[in-house]
Amino acid sequence: MWRVLVVEDDPDMREFFASSVSRCVALELAASLGTFAEARDWLGQDPKRIDVLLTDLGLPDGSGLDLIRLVLRLHPYCEPLVISMFGDEDNVLASIEAGALGYIHKDSTPDDIAQTILDMLGGASPISPMIARRVLTKYRSQLADPAPASAPAPQSGAAAAPAGTARQLLSPREQEVLALIARGFSYSEVARLQTVTVHTVRTHIKNLYAKLSVHSKTEAVFEATRMGLLSPHS
Amino acid sequence: MRQSLILLLVLVAQTPAAQVLQLQQADATVTLDGESTRDTVSLPYHWDRRHGGQAGLAEFQLQFDLDPLPNEPYGIYLPRLGNAYAIWLNGQLLQREGNLQQGNGADFAKAPRYVDIVPGLLQHHNRLQVRIRADVGRRGGLAPITVGPEHAVRALYQQDFTWRISGSAVVAIANLLVALMALALWATQVDNSGPGRPRRDPLYLFAGLAELAWTLRVADAVIEHPFVDWPWWGILTITALTVWVCSMILFCVEVANWRQLDAMSWLRRWMALMVVLSPPAAYMAMVSGIPMALTLLYAALAITAFAFLTQFLIQTRAATLQHRIVATAILLNIGIGVRDLVAFRLSDSYGGNTWMRYSSLMFGLALAYIVLSRLHQATTQARDLLTHMEERVASKEAELQLLYPRMEQLARDHERAAERSRILRDMHDGVGSHISTAIRQLQNGKASQDDILHTLRDALDQLKLSIDAMHLPPGDVGALLANIRYRLESRIQACGVELQWDVEELAPISRLDTNAMGQLQFMLFEAFSNVLQHAHATMLRVAAVPHGPGSHGLLLQIIDNGVGYDPTVSKRNGLRSMQQRAQAIGVELRLVSEPGRSMVEITAY
Repeated sequence: MWRVLVVEDDPDMREFFASSVSRCVALELAASLGTFAEARDWLGQDPKRIDVLLTDLGLPDGSGLDLIRLVLRLHPYCEPLVISMFGDEDNVLASIEAGALGYIHKDSTPDDIAQTILDMLGGASPISPMIARRVLTKYRSQLADPAPASAPAPQSGAAAAPAGTARQLLSPREQEVLALIARGFSYSEVARLQTVTVHTVRTHIKNLYAKLSVHSKTEAVFEATRMGLLSPHS
Repeated sequence: MRQSLILLLVLVAQTPAAQVLQLQQADATVTLDGESTRDTVSLPYHWDRRHGGQAGLAEFQLQFDLDPLPNEPYGIYLPRLGNAYAIWLNGQLLQREGNLQQGNGADFAKAPRYVDIVPGLLQHHNRLQVRIRADVGRRGGLAPITVGPEHAVRALYQQDFTWRISGSAVVAIANLLVALMALALWATQVDNSGPGRPRRDPLYLFAGLAELAWTLRVADAVIEHPFVDWPWWGILTITALTVWVCSMILFCVEVANWRQLDAMSWLRRWMALMVVLSPPAAYMAMVSGIPMALTLLYAALAITAFAFLTQFLIQTRAATLQHRIVATAILLNIGIGVRDLVAFRLSDSYGGNTWMRYSSLMFGLALAYIVLSRLHQATTQARDLLTHMEERVASKEAELQLLYPRMEQLARDHERAAERSRILRDMHDGVGSHISTAIRQLQNGKASQDDILHTLRDALDQLKLSIDAMHLPPGDVGALLANIRYRLESRIQACGVELQWDVEELAPISRLDTNAMGQLQFMLFEAFSNVLQHAHATMLRVAAVPHGPGSHGLLLQIIDNGVGYDPTVSKRNGLRSMQQRAQAIGVELRLVSEPGRSMVEITAY
């Protein structure tokens, strides 16, 4: 049973997500909140672990990205998912950098939400061709210009950070997968073209998410421990 | 003809071993136009003073006694004699220079002479015989003769030679160098900054000409074999003197910076006239026997020079340093000139040379100062200019630095305005159009819920595509296609249409800018939407391949197996809009449709 925290300011949407999660037997609704402040207070009081954070990016009193960072400090193994109206490039990249596992479009059908959460937990992180293309372009331009290699990757900025991180990390196979996705091929088509399974493609993508994240899980655990938020044995 | 001999012995220096004798009186036989006269004369015998305007011959007999006979070598020193001469002692020819019969040739009256006396030739009573040929106006004649022990007499000769010949040669070379330097400066220092023809500085020209003319005058003292025969050589040296005076005056005009004065143009013409009149006046004086012509020319020159230099010296008080230096040089030379005049014209100094040849070097030094001060001035100006330029460059850089952010701001504003305009157009054509359609559908109540849902989904998809279009790399049609598929994937699946994706790697088409990419996105969205909404197809194939010369273009086909339509008679807004957009961005659009196979083909280069 995965404990899910929903944070969404639109009451209809919040109710829609909350009921979708509640109906799913594999998921448990931990709380359904409307603002950043409520979420922060709730997190401060609730000692139980959170497995999944489903949050809107545009909260009335703060950014969903800040909420993701806060949750990851308290619950390093939590999987944050972002609710996005448009799934546009800048917001998605910023979410991935903050540590999101994936993103969900607001106009998805009701049944999809719970299933999408489960899919992502199972490794089916989405990636749009636009993001794949942007990561690849940056990656290739940095390969051609090795000067920044010795410099630390910038920690802010939607485009520079993931590419800077990706530079040393992308395997040839991951690059091929990214290139095909950038050309519009679906996961299954990529799997066929690469003669691998869809599961392998999903693994590549999920790995990519982890690599693009500014604070990897390991770093988050270390940081949380250092700050005394997490005991070393927990 | 022989005359009695008068011997005058003047003891200049006497030692028990030797005595130096100066012979100042002679018995002279002078032949003019074939007629000879005999007289006792005192030396120096200055031919031009005694026989002005006439050439002729003279023979001088001088006697001297020696007791006891010297047992050391003896010599004779003659400060000046000529223009041609021969010397005998006790009937033996000792030295001969020039042609005694033919006049106007080489001039040997310029250098002092020393003659060794052959051992054994001297007697107790000795007879020295000097024969000369003298030309008109060449300072012919005979100076007092010194006889004595070689070491004493040669020393006198060498001292005289050093001052008159070596000194003149050094001065001539120095003057020539200054002349060449000045003329080189005149030739090379061209001012191109002003309008009209490039201008050279006449100061250097006049200094160069003056020094060149003076070089000739000074060098004349050592040139025994002139380049041309007498009297032409004399005419040349007289002209050189005129050129020197005129050039010096015009040089002073430049030094005093009087060039712009009206009187100076007249002065320049007057000077030119002097120079032009010089050769005929000299000719008349030396060949035609009209010395008045040259006297008049010299008088005119002297008056002009006197008037000008007086003015030049008067103005010295309030003048520049270079003016003062030149004035000092002039004053010094005037002083020396007066001394020379006294020595050569008023007294009877026949043997020596003018001192002015040496003092004239002052003008060369004055010119050197002027050149150096101008160089210093030019360097200072250049440095000031450089400093000024550096300041201006720095100021311009500062201005640019202020300007850059403004320009960047302007560029950003422009970009923002263009982006805003594009978004507005997208909202109007896409979301706005679809939402108004949905409202109409709801108002008239005829549309089904599915139709309205479809319209609203179109609106949302259009909105997402418009946002995505902001990040599309210009010309990257591959990215555009991939993104449309990503956005429409769920709808395609919902319609139960099998999608066949056959998109190759496509090179960006650089001419398709952001606006054109937006238009193309609309066209493709329309094509997809038509298939999903109207075609009732089960298969949708998207193929894109590089196309055209160098594969820089692309061929894009969207094919479905739906019911088809008649593209020629279709009045649907969507198709008409696609045609208009294709035309606007310069891509070819071809619509082919029949039941079971419809194709939208786009070709772009």
